[in-house]
Amino acid sequence: MEKNSELLPGTLDLLILKALVHGTMHGYGIAQRLKEVSDDVLQVGESSLYPALQRLLLNGWVEAEWGTSQNNRRARFYHLTPLGRKQLGVERQEFQRMITAIQKVLETA
Amino acid sequence: MTNKLLRRWRYLRDRRRIEADLAEEMRTHQAMAAREMERQGMTAEEAALAGRRAMGAMTQMQEEARGVWIWPWVESVWQDLGYAVRSFRRQPGFAAVAILALACGIGLNTSLFTVFNAVALRPWSVRDPARVVRVHGVLRDVVKQFDTISGFSAVEYRYLAEHTKSMSGLLLMRGEGSLHTDVGKARGQYVTANYFRVLDVEMERGRGFLAEEDRSESPEAVAVLSYTSWQNRFAADPAVLGRRIRVEEVPFTIVGVAPPDFGGTNPEPTDVWLPFSSMALLNPNDSWARTFLRDRNSCCADVSGRLAPGISRAQARAELGLLRADFYHQFGETSLGVVLTGTAPLQSIGRKAKNFYAVFALMFAGVMLVLLLACANVGNLLLARAAARRREIGVRLSLGAGRARVVRQLLTESLLLAGTASALGVFLAFVLPRPLFIRIAGVVSFPLRPDAVVLAFTLVLSALACAAFGLAPALHATRGNFSDSLKQRQVPARGRLCLRSVLLTVQVAVSAILLVGAGLMVRGVQHARTLDPGFAVEGVDSFAFEFPTSAYQTTRVAGFYDNLTRGLDALPGARPFGFTAVDPLGNTRGYTSFRLPGQDESHRNGILTNTVSAGYFEILRIAIVAGRNFAPADSAHDVLLINQAMADRYFPHESAIGKSVIVDKPQQIVGIVRNAHTWTLDEVEPALYFPISYGLPPRLLLSHTGANVAAVTALAKRLDPRVEMRATRLSDNLDQWLSATRIGALIAGLLGLLALSLAAIGVSGAFAYAVQQRTQEIGIRMALGARPAQVIALVFRSAGRSLAAGLALGLVGALGGSVLLRQYIFGLSHLDPVTYVAVLAALAAAGMAATWLPTRRAVQVDPIEALRQD
Repeated sequence: MEKNSELLPGTLDLLILKALVHGTMHGYGIAQRLKEVSDDVLQVGESSLYPALQRLLLNGWVEAEWGTSQNNRRARFYHLTPLGRKQLGVERQEFQRMITAIQKVLETA
Repeated sequence: MTNKLLRRWRYLRDRRRIEADLAEEMRTHQAMAAREMERQGMTAEEAALAGRRAMGAMTQMQEEARGVWIWPWVESVWQDLGYAVRSFRRQPGFAAVAILALACGIGLNTSLFTVFNAVALRPWSVRDPARVVRVHGVLRDVVKQFDTISGFSAVEYRYLAEHTKSMSGLLLMRGEGSLHTDVGKARGQYVTANYFRVLDVEMERGRGFLAEEDRSESPEAVAVLSYTSWQNRFAADPAVLGRRIRVEEVPFTIVGVAPPDFGGTNPEPTDVWLPFSSMALLNPNDSWARTFLRDRNSCCADVSGRLAPGISRAQARAELGLLRADFYHQFGETSLGVVLTGTAPLQSIGRKAKNFYAVFALMFAGVMLVLLLACANVGNLLLARAAARRREIGVRLSLGAGRARVVRQLLTESLLLAGTASALGVFLAFVLPRPLFIRIAGVVSFPLRPDAVVLAFTLVLSALACAAFGLAPALHATRGNFSDSLKQRQVPARGRLCLRSVLLTVQVAVSAILLVGAGLMVRGVQHARTLDPGFAVEGVDSFAFEFPTSAYQTTRVAGFYDNLTRGLDALPGARPFGFTAVDPLGNTRGYTSFRLPGQDESHRNGILTNTVSAGYFEILRIAIVAGRNFAPADSAHDVLLINQAMADRYFPHESAIGKSVIVDKPQQIVGIVRNAHTWTLDEVEPALYFPISYGLPPRLLLSHTGANVAAVTALAKRLDPRVEMRATRLSDNLDQWLSATRIGALIAGLLGLLALSLAAIGVSGAFAYAVQQRTQEIGIRMALGARPAQVIALVFRSAGRSLAAGLALGLVGALGGSVLLRQYIFGLSHLDPVTYVAVLAALAAAGMAATWLPTRRAVQVDPIEALRQD
């Protein structure tokens, strides 16, 4: 369940932001979505998901509201702020740069 | 960044709700996860178990999520603080002494810095003051032979103002001292029309001056009032604009009122501003005032301006220097350029300012020493306290507290001490400087209260002090083997003893320095009081006359004095009386320069001067040692008198009588007078006396009798009722001269007393600690038959060495310091044996007193008790 500890630092923030691009989602939903989309490779546990979400709240990149889930549970739904949308662009670029750099090293070094 | 802080704050405010939200959210998450697992085929029990297992980790997870929001240490700092408060409450005596000592040190430093800040750092209260500069012309001083600074003529100012591109505005101003108005005396200032615009002062009412109001060809009588004079002289009349006031009998129209926070651009507060052109209206008979705006040799007024956007001071200085050179070039002359300074009252240029800085440096040295002493003291107390708490600290360390954590806890206690002390210190700085400064310097226009700069200074100071007295003890206390300390076996650690000795040495040395300084100053005052000034001070009055400037011409002033002289001549008991331009010990000095006939044209010797009548030497009983006094016919001839100091310096091997010196033209020396301290109480400088003239209204010196004062008052009133007269006693002048020294001595004495009590506390603390630490050892010695004397010797040895070292160091330091002090304090002898002996005795006595209690305790130690202490 805790495989995500292998994630590059800061990548989780990027993934959450990306997951929220298409609309509001609750915490469990975000974890599920990351798992599904990555073909079960990325399994994000609460111990890293919730601190990350708090971090995003603190930075003002997401906002949260209480609502009702599909099966009528009270749940907190997160959505991107304009600032968060901008941050996604920035982090994506940064990530791309990093990946390219790593690949370069792997291919040549 | 600020948004982040805001959100953080909101979190702290609503943390209970937010944490509940988080907990609920995580429970939801787990419920959803459990459902999912159930769906995938787990049994309900298995799923619930997995959920519960996850629940166990939940607190930890919540903690982690929470840690994002608050630096967890904020909370623990709060804990530390609470702990510190509780521990001080248990030892209120210790806390009180420590806080009081630190508050004295910090308060004195903050107070002095408040004064320094107001005098040397704080600029004029105008918008964007950092961009406003004063412009000074550089001038080669013919008298003192070094570069000095001067103002500008109005003509030169106009040239600079028209051509400069580096300044967005340049203004000219000139203080006019005291003006007579129909609403009382007022301190006036002449300014160019752009004054308020360049300084960007937003007027309280009305407006500043208009360009057309400051044309010398069409002067207009308009005035701007200061806020205070509007409040006090016009009762804040809302309809004050357009009202008339009579200034020197000339009616002026009020066009504006300055805002309350703008006291003007002089060290003394300005009551009324007038345009430069009105100078000619006010002084119709004064040729200088009439021509000042047109004559390029008419000097001087002050120039100030605002730097143009993006221009640095250096750039502006370069440009103005070039413009000035161009200006002088037109007349075939050269110039030395300009200097730009900030607008604080005291600038670091000129000799006087340098002296001022030196005095400030000395005073800072004094109060810093007090603070150092207080720090050493509190450090020592903390050290002793930490030793007593070794067991507690040992327990905490063995229970797994990191050393850094315990050091932090101990530092928090120091911080609490420093914080409380600084609060008290700042309070002192609010109440202390103003009355003290007014005692010394008279009126001040600038606010003498701590501002943001001062508070920042105090903050840094307390942080440094806190580190100074808190860090070393904390590090020491947490060092060493803690299983030992758990058993409370007190093994005297060498390092700790060392630190204590150093602290004790520093304390004794610093208090010796402060005490010697104080003692020397007190002795200086004693000495100055018994000094013979070389002239008659007692029983002589000095009368100053003030003439309404617009109504009087120089010839009328001379006529007034002629009539006065005749009237006094006829008055029985008035003789001898004399006239003098310089009030004896009145804190004014006039210099000129001369050359001897054989010397080159460019040769200049600077010299003190006064213009006096023959009666001056008679009433002040300054003996003519050679030649003769002035005679009635002299003022037409070119003769002068010199003092003995001048004769000794310039005519060492010959008689000066009959020789000539060239000031403007050759003048013959007809007499030599005895040296007298009529200018300062320092060593008598060479001086020239010119026969009396009436260009500047001279003072009258007359014996102090009731009949004389009444007669002169009546006489002056009869001659011209508009002439104002003020009488002072020469002995008051002397007192005033000594009062700076006396206040200095008083302050130094108080500092010394403070130092003495701090040192006594420190020494007694150190001895008490030494005894406490060796109780067991002493007990064994006593049990084995040691005599009390031997035990006392034992206790003394531990502290005696640092005491002696401190005394030696302190006396050497004091000797060095007093050599410096001597340059600024009159009458000080830095080798005064009485002072040194007294200080030694005082410190020794304090040491005795401080050791008495602990030593008595040492010999009263019950051996059985002591051995049982383990």
